Amino acid sequence: MRSIWAVAVNTIKQALRMKVAIVFMVLLFVLLPVLGASATGDETLKGRLQTFVSYGLSLTSFLLCLLTIIVSIYSLTSDIEQRQIYTVITKPIRRFQLLLGKLLGVLVLNVVLLGLFSAIIYVFAIYTPAFVKPPELELTEANNEFLTARAALTVPQVDVTDEVKARYEELKKLDRLPPGYTYEQTITELTKQAQLAKRAAGVGDVLVWEFDNVKPLAESMFIRFKYDVFPNPPDSQVFGRWLAGDWQFIKYGERPKTPIYDQVHKHAARTFQEIEFPAEVVPEDGHLAVAFVNVPLNNTTVIFPPDGLEVLYKADTFGGNFVRAVFLILFRLIFLACLGIFASTFLSFPVAILFCLVVFFTASFSSFVIDSFSLLSKDVGAVYSYTLEWIVKLLPQFDTYNPTKFIVPARLVNWSLLAKCAVFMVCIKAFLVFVLGLVVFSCREIARITV
Amino acid sequence: MEYAVETFSLTKVFSDWWGRAKVYAVDNLDLQIRHNEVFGLLGPNGSGKTTTLKMLLGLLHPTKGKALLLGGDGADPKINARIGFLPEESYLYRYLSARETLDFYGRIFRLPAKLRKMRIEALLDMVGLKAVANRAVGTFSKGMARRIGLAQALINDPDLLILDEPTTGLDPIGTRQIKDLILKLAERGKTILLCSHLLADVEDVCDRIAILYGGKIQTQGRVRELLQQTNKRQITTDAVSDATVERIKQLVQNENGECVVTSPMDKLESFFIRTVTAAQQQAQPTSGAVSTTKIGGFLTEEEPAESILDKLVSAPVSARSSETRPATEEVAAAASSGSGPDEELLGKLTRPTEPPQPTPVAPEPEKVETEPVDPHAFDQEHVRENILDKLTGRSRAAGEDEQETGKSQAGGPGDA
Repeated sequence: MRSIWAVAVNTIKQALRMKVAIVFMVLLFVLLPVLGASATGDETLKGRLQTFVSYGLSLTSFLLCLLTIIVSIYSLTSDIEQRQIYTVITKPIRRFQLLLGKLLGVLVLNVVLLGLFSAIIYVFAIYTPAFVKPPELELTEANNEFLTARAALTVPQVDVTDEVKARYEELKKLDRLPPGYTYEQTITELTKQAQLAKRAAGVGDVLVWEFDNVKPLAESMFIRFKYDVFPNPPDSQVFGRWLAGDWQFIKYGERPKTPIYDQVHKHAARTFQEIEFPAEVVPEDGHLAVAFVNVPLNNTTVIFPPDGLEVLYKADTFGGNFVRAVFLILFRLIFLACLGIFASTFLSFPVAILFCLVVFFTASFSSFVIDSFSLLSKDVGAVYSYTLEWIVKLLPQFDTYNPTKFIVPARLVNWSLLAKCAVFMVCIKAFLVFVLGLVVFSCREIARITV
Repeated sequence: MEYAVETFSLTKVFSDWWGRAKVYAVDNLDLQIRHNEVFGLLGPNGSGKTTTLKMLLGLLHPTKGKALLLGGDGADPKINARIGFLPEESYLYRYLSARETLDFYGRIFRLPAKLRKMRIEALLDMVGLKAVANRAVGTFSKGMARRIGLAQALINDPDLLILDEPTTGLDPIGTRQIKDLILKLAERGKTILLCSHLLADVEDVCDRIAILYGGKIQTQGRVRELLQQTNKRQITTDAVSDATVERIKQLVQNENGECVVTSPMDKLESFFIRTVTAAQQQAQPTSGAVSTTKIGGFLTEEEPAESILDKLVSAPVSARSSETRPATEEVAAAASSGSGPDEELLGKLTRPTEPPQPTPVAPEPEKVETEPVDPHAFDQEHVRENILDKLTGRSRAAGEDEQETGKSQAGGPGDA
């Protein structure tokens, strides 16, 4: 352990004294305050905070990722290329200990830098309200919709299988099945239609969503939604009457024991909007119903996209959530450190850097990459699913665990998500990559061939 | 475990991308190095010396055959803990200072903090880099880097020391010092494998040598047996009168022998050392290494109970250095002057294999060894100068011997 630590300390010294780490640190020290001063968003306090924190976190994450890749690769490849490893590896240290030492050094550096810069971002975010002195309304908005951590209740897709089957039989009986369609294609098309129907409200129609186990921590709750409209109204504005409260009242008109929220709002279509409503409308059994009434004023059909409606409620503080979000960044750094060390066990510095950058960017757009691969390889399905798919899936999904995706809408990074990220990204993928690196490094010849 | 280093038909073939054998860097090498032997591996460039060392240490995998170091595998940490290795160039971390470099290696050896600090100071003192100990190694000249490289090889007080071209880039004093060190370590029972093409250095210190060419051993044996000219005799005298010389010539001619009489030349090495010492004594400033004749205290201590001993002597280093200096002087004296003038020159230099003499024979009147050592700096300088004077004086005597044999023998002490 002591020799591992000696190597780790040496790696840190190298990163600092070769000025690699310094460059990145200076960059962050300069850019974060500039960002804090210049990020105004949509001129509201909430917008300002969202812009600053999302850009700040993304920048920190991106630069530290690059730093991790460079340091982890440089540390080992320079040892091998400049041959300091000759004197190190002939000392009583095993090769795996050397790699562990390098990894430990990179990780310690990362933890310190990540802690430092995320603390700076956090402090900036917390003290911005006091500094900007916004109007009361904006302050409340920022507190409720940004400086918090909200859990989301989402609507599951409605199961329409039976309905679709019945419809199919009906069409068959009437002999009105679309010509040239196979059974599967017809069913797919019918399912789409049926699901769309569940999310669409014609003029005067009512849509009801129900949520179980609602336990709000704060006084306010939020409905977050997006309208799609057809046909498009001239000003793209949609009127909607929103109700929230006891499901028995909303569905069956029974006398409610808790107050009912009932308001008409006007919102722009095609962007996410939020409506705040008091948490006291939630009945004691925690079964909440939300209803949307397409008021006749609209004269248009309103459709909610598949992820178009959520109920949000405060579940944790901003601080706790922020820390968990930072952990998401740390996990990705751990993976990259392992990847960098793996790459440097058999590649030279420039090649290893290139390799890691490709993996990094692929992982950053992993869902896009996976989607496009599955789309493109439709015709070679078997070949794809046995070869490339595994490789693509072995990549970590940085975008799925992107912290800004949670922090900007003040979404709760819950512990299960964090644990899932830790298990998949660190315990499985990073570990596998590192072990592979150990195997390669233990087998290879350290010395260059010279005759 | 009869041998400290043993190889069994060790072979290294470098093949091309298709796996076709291209170069036999080392070809069926059977090498046996006994314990407590100074072994020289010689050969021209590209003869497989360094490749052999790399295979011994596990830096390269042999294509065929096997190598044992101290009875074990060269990649085994237990064995590594007893080995010191100086590669052909000092590959050091440029951004670490000299002290940090040694500290890093000391930590890898898991040396306890106190012992580590003590040894680092002693080694810095020994290689003469104490004044620049906090400067980054990247700013060092080649010879200074070499000195740090040597220090790192010694930090674990190794049983087996593997030195690849130890004297390249070193000034003559450093070279002389490394040679003294090797002899002293051999005296203490260490085994040293030396790899060089500087023949003079090898000749000075090695007990046995092997000459490699094309990855094969061309010849090997004891240096003395390989080089001794049994058909010649050498006589060294004080400045006797011409008449006496004539009489001696007459005597030799009576036996039908040939006789050449010359005055001995001073060795350039001795002359150089004298000049630099004089400059040092005038305290002229230098940004480079300060040459000393000190040898790291812990390296010259007697063998038993080392760790306990290390604890006991954890007194300030300066005091330790002055304590051990007399011992160092003994080495210097013994190395270059211990034997009588009638002995063959190489015999003197390979002395460590002979039973160590209790006290060095100092044929000259000034008995440096017995002088009280004053810790005062000036006096230290003074003492050092005396040693060096003595050293050079003896070298001259040795040179004289050589001259009389008609300059036929190559090398002398420190013919660097």
